[in-house]
This record gives sequence, structure tokens and C-alpha cells, in this order.
Amino acid sequence: MTGNWLNLAMGAMALTALTLAGGALLSFAVRAFRVDGNPLVDSIDAVLPQTQCGQCGHPGCRPYAEAISNGEAINRCPPGGQDTVDRLAELLGIESLPLDADPETAAVDRVAVIIEEDCIGCTKCIKACPVDAILGAAKLMHTVLPDLCTGCDLCIAPCPVDCIEMVPRTPSPAAWVPTPPPLICSDQRPSTGAAHG
Amino acid sequence: MAEYRLRQSHTALVGGIHPETHKAISLSRPCQSIPTPEHLLFPLHFSGGGAGEALVAVGDHVDQGTPIIRTESGLVHVASRSGWVVSCDPQPLAHPRHEPSPCIHIQTDPEGQAITLPPLQMADAETIRARAMEAGIVGMGGAGFPSHQKWAAGLTTLLINGAECEPYLTADDTIMRDQADAVIQGAATLATALGIAQIVIGIEDNKPEALEALQQAISEVEARQSFEIIVVPTKYPSGGERQLIWLTLELEISSRQHPIDQGILVHNPGTLAALHFSLQGQPITDRIITVTGEGVPRPQNFRVPIGTPIRELLIHAGLVQSTPYQVTVGGPMMGFELHSVDAPVIKTTNCILVREAVRQQIEPCIRCGACAEVCPVQLQPQRLYQMLSQDALGAADHEGLSDCIACAACNVVCPSNIPLASWFQHGRHQLREVAKQATIANQARQRFQAREARLTRVAADQERRRHERRSKSGDLLAKARQLREEHNG
Repeated sequence: MTGNWLNLAMGAMALTALTLAGGALLSFAVRAFRVDGNPLVDSIDAVLPQTQCGQCGHPGCRPYAEAISNGEAINRCPPGGQDTVDRLAELLGIESLPLDADPETAAVDRVAVIIEEDCIGCTKCIKACPVDAILGAAKLMHTVLPDLCTGCDLCIAPCPVDCIEMVPRTPSPAAWVPTPPPLICSDQRPSTGAAHG
Repeated sequence: MAEYRLRQSHTALVGGIHPETHKAISLSRPCQSIPTPEHLLFPLHFSGGGAGEALVAVGDHVDQGTPIIRTESGLVHVASRSGWVVSCDPQPLAHPRHEPSPCIHIQTDPEGQAITLPPLQMADAETIRARAMEAGIVGMGGAGFPSHQKWAAGLTTLLINGAECEPYLTADDTIMRDQADAVIQGAATLATALGIAQIVIGIEDNKPEALEALQQAISEVEARQSFEIIVVPTKYPSGGERQLIWLTLELEISSRQHPIDQGILVHNPGTLAALHFSLQGQPITDRIITVTGEGVPRPQNFRVPIGTPIRELLIHAGLVQSTPYQVTVGGPMMGFELHSVDAPVIKTTNCILVREAVRQQIEPCIRCGACAEVCPVQLQPQRLYQMLSQDALGAADHEGLSDCIACAACNVVCPSNIPLASWFQHGRHQLREVAKQATIANQARQRFQAREARLTRVAADQERRRHERRSKSGDLLAKARQLREEHNG
């Protein structure tokens, strides 16, 4: 009889010890391997073009990435183009959507240019630029650093004298693109753009 | 007086092919200088070293050796002959980019002079770098990369790439035969300046005359370095940079690394000879070009002023009319088709090949795997081709597309005549574009985040100051009330 009780007590103690050890391990793991932020948001953000233009209705690319992770449509990024929509669809494992913008105008890579004779040095565009790509000081001429400009259009509206223009980005004169080789019929590309891996 | 060791290569090339070499046809005549042509053209952006700006204006008179183009890498290109600058209009190029691009057009002056740089006897790393920049030294093997940018610290080995494995080409062979002293002295001076202890020469076994000339030159040079000549068997593409490093130094360089990361500096013999002459005061004004192929009556090597229109070369080689022929710049494997014979010779132009135009019908891939057997970097070209033709760039990247060295061995063996190498070149270009866009996006993200952080900090600062002001004015008010109460009381 006592043997049975002893066995039972031993079992209970062993189980308790196991549970406590497991609990300790878990609580340690929670602290040691904590992931800050949402990793899904990070991978969505990595696909977005980082123009920070707000055309999606969110104040920047990361807020839109957060909205996508909460179920918002993936086709609201005109600067990214259809390519970005396709890559987002592949990342999230969902059906791709057509881009919610005119693909002709969305595809053009543009930069802001300040017409320097007209600039009055009001600094309003400097405050509007999300990536600090405009240089200048009060009552002095401003200029856009074209390499840093993402072409987001956000400096156009604040300018009181309309001296900012969006122009297509000029490629380096030494740049060249190899001509794509000819395709034969049996290897024709599928008509809807297949996603990049 | 220097010692050297001569041996056969211990390692073998993976894959590779044995194309018919056709090298004898251009070696049957000695190398010959051509008379100064009437017109010279210098591409502003495609002379090597990146986009350039003109240092001369229309109407200027230039001497041979006058700097005319400064590139974004700081390298300077000089006029190869004296003359008058006539214009700077778009002209056709001898470059895979066929669209016309601005070229400085010089009408040569038969009575012009040549200016030289002060000769340098002993050079340290800084002076030799400065001299390479002012003499316009770029890699003459084909890439046209500014040589001084490769001269990093911590290099241990200088490898002279004398393999010249492309069929038809004999320009490097000619340089090694005729200017072996300059090649070896250039190598020794460069090695001394950069603190390199070992000079290795890799040469294919089909160039016995060049080998002999190099041996002779080494035995006459005074150098502190140890020389080693390694003879590699004739097989294409043993002259690929990584392939030759494997054949001579038995080292494999990963695709994410550059040979200079392993302390290996690879130069073409032509580049080293040009460096030697530049140290004596002669900037690059000429280069040796093979004009060959079944289409030219007198195939041979020519010593040509840079900027000479290719038409002139073809005339000197006896070509009367070029219509039924296809003109290729570079070798038959990695060269590209020339669209206009008015295009000028640039520093990287090593061969003009004139052959009968053959247009082969491209057929579907039959998955025979012949391309995989000859690939020197052990890729599966048929799989890569399938991925790229379906636009699956990411999958192709994963399959190792960026390892492709564009040797085009797969093109030659393909029974369906698929231009595999052009597919891979295009794919690699797209990969680079994607990587560039990612870098730009990353920088934009960092700037955006830095700005957000700054705005938050500024707002917090303002809030704190407002709070301080408010509490200070509150204190004053309380004090005033207290005073009034005291006064009234």
C-alpha cells in the first residue's frame, strides 16, 4: 500500500519537475529569441520601392507594408509597377492583381528638378522631401540631388512659385543594355508576367 | 639575370572546347604599322573608364599625347596623333552598344608634334597609379577596366594572362613576341611598386615563339621577384581570369569574390607593355590589332593609332568590298558583330574578324546536355536558358547565373544553334539592375528612417522646451501673486 503511494508521489514529483524545467526553458526562449516587430512586414517592406511617396494612401512604404500584412490590397503602389505587385503576390502566396494605376505613367522613373531662376528659397520643398534629397537654406536657391531623389512628387504641391518639375531620369551616357536574344515560338514567354522568384 | 621556373600546368580545365584555332593565318606576315589615317575618332563615353568629358573644344589643335577626355574614374585619354578637333557628334561605335555616341573627331596634322611625359625610373605605388591615370592605362584584354583601380594593397601574385585562347586572335601573341622586354619590365616595375613577390605567366602551349621571347626577356631583366612560366594546354576558355588562376595557381575564386581579394592581380601582356612605355613617358596612343578571317586577302597584325576607323584597317588588309561578309570585333567566341565599319578602334579592340555571314536557324532546345558538358563553371546552361526564356530571373540567379563567364562555349556545341551566351549576358545585366534598384531602395529607406528619427527628436525637444517655458512662467506668476498678497496684507 505504502509502495503505491510512494510511486504515485514520485511520479507527481517527477512530472512537476519536468513541467517546471520546461516552463523555465520556454520563458528563457521567449526572452532570448524574441523577434522585434513583424518579420512579415519587413519582407513586404523589402519588396516595396521605398519612394515614400504616399500614393498608396499611407504615409510611407513601411505603413503600407503594415497595412498589407493586415489584409490591404497589394496593387496600390504605382512607382513599384506591376512587377512589385507580382512579387508581393508571390511573397504572400495570393493571386496577383492588376496595378491600380495607369501602367504607362507609373513605369516612368522620374526625378524632381528645381528651376533655379524661379526659386525664392522658401524651404517648403525641403520640409516635404521624405528622403532629404533637397539642399538649400532660407532665401537661398535650392537644388535636388538627383541620385537621392525617389521621384515621389511630394515637393511639387508645397512650392508656392511652381518651380519644381518632374523629368524622366537620364541614364548615364556610358550605360548600355544588351539586346535581348530572339525567342523561338516554342519558348514564347507566357502573356501574363510570371513572377520573379 | 632574373631566375625563372618553367613547368606544365598540373591542373585541368573543367569543361571547355577545342575549336579550330586559325591562328596561323594572321601570323604568316609580320606586324606592320599603318600610316596615320586622315581622321581619328575618340568615343567620349566608351573609351574605357566610364562616362567622360571632353578636355578640348572644336577648333583646338592637339598634339600627340594631349589629354582629350577625362573619364569619371579620373583616367585621362590622350590624342593618339596630332591634329585639329573638328567636331564632337554621335558616331557608330565598335562596342556591343550599337547606338551612336558622341566621339571627338580629330583631323590629323602631318606636321604635328608628339608630347611625352617625364620618364620615371623608380616608381612607388602612388606615382605609378598617377602615371597610369595620366597615360590612360586600361585593361587591353577586353574589359577596358582602369588598371590603377585594381592595384590594391596586400597583393601577393601578379599573373600575366598570356593564354589568348580565342581562335583567330594573335594580338597578345604578337605583343609577347615583339615586345617581350616591355611586358616583363612593366610587370617587374609594377610588382616592385606594389610589393608583389611573385610573377606568374600563364601561356598556352600553342605559342612557342612567344614563350621563348618571354624566357629571353626574363633572363635579361633585373628584378627582385621570382618568375614562373606555366604552360597550359590549348583549350578554350583557359584564358578566362578564374580559369587561368585555376590552371596556374590552383586556386578557385568564388563568384562573390574578385581575384584581388585573394591577393592575385591579373593583367594582359598588352596592358603591362603599355604601362612600361608610359613609365618611359609614352601614353597609350597605339595598340596591336589582329585583322583576320577568311574574308580578308592579307590577314595580319597591325600597329594602329587608337581612334582609327575600322574601315582603314580593312583597306590595309586588302578588303575591297565587305558586303557578303560579317565583321566581328573581338574573337569568334566572345566578340560582337560590328554594325558600321566607320566605327573607330578603341583601346580594347583586339581583333577584327571578317568571315562569311552565316545565319543559322534557331531550333527548340532538345535537352541534349552538350552545353552542360562544356561549361567551364559547371552550370546547366539548358536549365538557365529555360528559366530566362520564362522570365524566372530569381530561379536563374539561384541556379548560378552570375557565375557565367560569357565564354560562349555552350553556343558552339548547341545543336539547335540557341544563342545561350546572349541569354545569359542579358540575364546577368537584369540581375545587376535588380541589385542596383535594391541598393537604391535601401538607401532611400535609411534616409527616410533617419529623417523620421530626426523629426521625432526635434518634436520631443520642442515639447520639452515648451514645457520648461510654461513651468518657468508659471513659477513667475506664482511669485508675483505671492508678492501682491504680501503687499496687500
